[in-house]
Amino acid sequence: MFPILSVTLLVPLAGAVLIMAIPREDAKSIQRVGIFFAFLTLILTTIIWILVAPNAGEMQLQEKYPWIRTFNVWFHLGVDGLSAPLLFLTALLTTLSLFYSAHTIEERVKEYYFLFLILEMSMFGVFLSLDLVMYYVFWEIELVPMFLLIGVWGGENRQYAALKFFLYTMAGSVAMLLAIIGVYFQTGTFNILEAVTAQPFAGNFVWASVAFWAFFVAFAIKVPAFPFHTWLPDAHTEAPVSGSVILAGILLKLGAYGLIRVVLPMFPAQFKYFVLNVPIIPIMAVASIAYGAMVCMAQWDLKRLIAYSSVAHMGYVTLGLCAAAASIGTLGVETNFNAAASGLSGASFQMFAHGIITGGLFFLVGVIYDRAHTRQLKAFGGLGKQMPYYYSVVLVAGFASLGLPGLAGFWSEFFVFRGAINSIPLAAFIGVLGVVFTAAYILWKIIQYVFLGELDEEKWGHLPDMTWWEKVTMWPLIIIMVFLGFYPAPLLDTFNAAMTTLLQTLP
Amino acid sequence: MFGEPTLTLGQTIGLLSPELLLLLAGLIILGLDAISPHKEEKAWLPRVTLAGLAAALVAAIMLWGYNTRVLAVLSCDPFALVIKMVALVAMGIVVLVSDVYIRAHSRYQGEFYALLLFSTLAICLLGGATNLIMVYLAFEFLSITSYILTGYLREDKRSTEAAIKYFLYGAAVSSIMLYGMSWFYGLTGTTDLASIASALTETWRPVILPSLVFVAAGFAFKIGAVPFHQWAPDAYEGAPTPVTAFLSVCPKIAGFAVILRVLMTALPPSGLGILGGDWRALLMAISAITMTFGNLVAMWQTNIKRMLAYSSIAQAGYILVGVVSASERGVTAVLLYLLAYAVTNLGAFAVVIAFSNQIGSDEIEDYAGLHKRAPGLALILIICLLSLAGIPLTAGFIGKLWLFSAAYEAGLLWLAAIGVINSVISVSYYWKIIRAIYLLPAETEERLSTSPALSVALGLAVTGVFAVGIFPGLLLDLLRTAAQVFGG
Repeated sequence: MFPILSVTLLVPLAGAVLIMAIPREDAKSIQRVGIFFAFLTLILTTIIWILVAPNAGEMQLQEKYPWIRTFNVWFHLGVDGLSAPLLFLTALLTTLSLFYSAHTIEERVKEYYFLFLILEMSMFGVFLSLDLVMYYVFWEIELVPMFLLIGVWGGENRQYAALKFFLYTMAGSVAMLLAIIGVYFQTGTFNILEAVTAQPFAGNFVWASVAFWAFFVAFAIKVPAFPFHTWLPDAHTEAPVSGSVILAGILLKLGAYGLIRVVLPMFPAQFKYFVLNVPIIPIMAVASIAYGAMVCMAQWDLKRLIAYSSVAHMGYVTLGLCAAAASIGTLGVETNFNAAASGLSGASFQMFAHGIITGGLFFLVGVIYDRAHTRQLKAFGGLGKQMPYYYSVVLVAGFASLGLPGLAGFWSEFFVFRGAINSIPLAAFIGVLGVVFTAAYILWKIIQYVFLGELDEEKWGHLPDMTWWEKVTMWPLIIIMVFLGFYPAPLLDTFNAAMTTLLQTLP
Repeated sequence: MFGEPTLTLGQTIGLLSPELLLLLAGLIILGLDAISPHKEEKAWLPRVTLAGLAAALVAAIMLWGYNTRVLAVLSCDPFALVIKMVALVAMGIVVLVSDVYIRAHSRYQGEFYALLLFSTLAICLLGGATNLIMVYLAFEFLSITSYILTGYLREDKRSTEAAIKYFLYGAAVSSIMLYGMSWFYGLTGTTDLASIASALTETWRPVILPSLVFVAAGFAFKIGAVPFHQWAPDAYEGAPTPVTAFLSVCPKIAGFAVILRVLMTALPPSGLGILGGDWRALLMAISAITMTFGNLVAMWQTNIKRMLAYSSIAQAGYILVGVVSASERGVTAVLLYLLAYAVTNLGAFAVVIAFSNQIGSDEIEDYAGLHKRAPGLALILIICLLSLAGIPLTAGFIGKLWLFSAAYEAGLLWLAAIGVINSVISVSYYWKIIRAIYLLPAETEERLSTSPALSVALGLAVTGVFAVGIFPGLLLDLLRTAAQVFGG
């Protein structure tokens, strides 16, 4: 069988190596090679999704080669209905980012494209790994290119932001490393699927909780869930446009993906305990939603505002997970499949939708910043007339972000709340209030301050509307937002099948 | 007791061939250097040295599989051979990085290479020493050659000062160690490690404890562990940079070889009950303090040599985690990490040397914009720093994975936790170098070049970092065989 997964993993690496061989001065060729290889992964991940879709509940296309025999570490790849769409999202946003960067990044093009492709490879690796050591390896490698992308091509405060990003994530992940070692000595395997079946530390509540938190904190930092979110606004704000797109679009999903793939199935009892008995996790989720939304209300820097909106939106993912965990059966109690699957599918859908929407919004912030060289909302006004095309694109993305029916953002919130309303009603109620806030800051702050009102002719009268390449970057995202809004079934079915299997395999 | 194998002279020479070849190479260099004209370039010196090292390496590889005692005080077993191989590879890189620097800074080149060869000989002897007398002699042999190398630039005050400080410190500590060893002899009537193990009983614990502390002081000095680390930053900063590279790696290889050999043989953790636990407890404390102290102080350094000095103190703390695990996995981890650390740290120093050969500075701020002036050097330095920090795909990660797994397996989760927290702390100062290289603007655009020998060293180091980091499988089988020498 054609090893499509390892090929997908290696294509960006091949592209990066090829870029190394191109002379620094030949920026055009470097850009073309980078975009070509990213586009190749887009085709490959589309094929993977098509291959996986019919049996999305199963782990498919698995490849397994020994890596370190003495420690039972395997190079083990696999993909199911949860990872396939996320792989596609990764490839799509990387391709668009590189395309967009070809027109915006002028300094050190060679290193930029090199790092970007390495970044793509590491993100693929995280979504594809079925071995915990491998998973950790890719999880950590991803830090290095992102760190340099922020540090070299970022805004004024980039060095601080880059270091903060690195240290925060690494601090979380070393705890995870110890937990992974612990899982190995408990179960004798690094295989994620086998470890889930073996249920490490089962029967020892204290140690299971310690391991649970070690994993959970590592992922919660990445998600990020309140109070571990403080690296995010800095990193997102200082990163170059495409860096923010990847950060918000994919990197945050790595954390949520880990929670669904590793933490929930491996420690279901602990997850449930810390949702229902000691409700720390729902509090974190609700706090992310409420805090993120409120900071957005008070934020006047457009990019920072979008960054904080990510904190709020990723709160829905955590909330969906809480709903699922609360509905999992324990001794004597049947699993409420309906609620659990709804919460998980909503969370996964939100991961994908948020990637598309917020990725798009960060591109749009880039568009205005490129022209005006400011992101201060108060500085703008009346741009709707000056840049009508831009206005309409922002409207669609903004409405998708606030969860308007008919656009992608609606379904994720719908399913998350459907899952949460019975199992964790209070958290669900507060979470819904967050939706109202979202509508408020999108409409009031972004739409009203930027596009409505009087145009300052002298200051902004010269601003051109979107260029062709900015339109090309945005169109795929807009189409997906609308398409999923009207017809979420292809994505939802894929996620739902995977999530149902996940719930069925729980002991 | 142990049946002493009767070896013919030929067999003995064969088993000692790595050491003898090193000795021979050293003597050849001294002899040829004495009769060759003084003003000559002497490009043959490093070549002969490398040939000697390579011959010894081949000999060590050929001896693989032997597990026998030689001349009653040495052992030719997989553990000793692995230590020799690691030391020989490391020393090969040291020779490569020394070439240009020594030619530029000193008139006395022949002795320099001879001393390097003799220190390698000392490390090889330490790797196989099974008798306290042999341990002490080889230990002193290594120390004395190291003192001379540190003070090699006679005209340079800093170099001389570093050597004096290193010497005074080393002399004091080694006498303490000798005193401790004499207590062991007094208790057991033997200096053979295995015989000590069988003679010791728990009733002597009150006497064994202080003697253990005395001996451990000597070991801690060699590996640069707290509280016997004070010599390191000054010696590192003052010594000629190739010697600093040597100091940061080679004595550590020797030190850890001796620690494992002496403690695992004379006080095996499985056989002697509480006595085996004592040294582990002592070294646990040293390990935790050493890595934390090294990392915290490294954060304040502005000179790259000093920073790497403190970083290497911290690294010794990590390696001790494997020692106190005192298991097959622990010993494997120590050997693995020693190799990983050796190639990584030498790679970093190779860049520092390449840089100082042309710029003449070791201040981190002068590294600003290095990526523009020498993209290759910049990339290699970053790879080495990431390996020191333990980022995956590098040797440092695999090493740390093994160390912390060993600790976990031995029930030392807390020590592993301190280790990983320290890894995070270490990023914050490696970052200072990365920041300078990649983020700060260069003052000039002038390109830097690298001598061929240095390029080879850099290539070797980076290959080593990735080879161990990505394909550790074969190597681990080898190291495990070595670790089984101590009965697991």
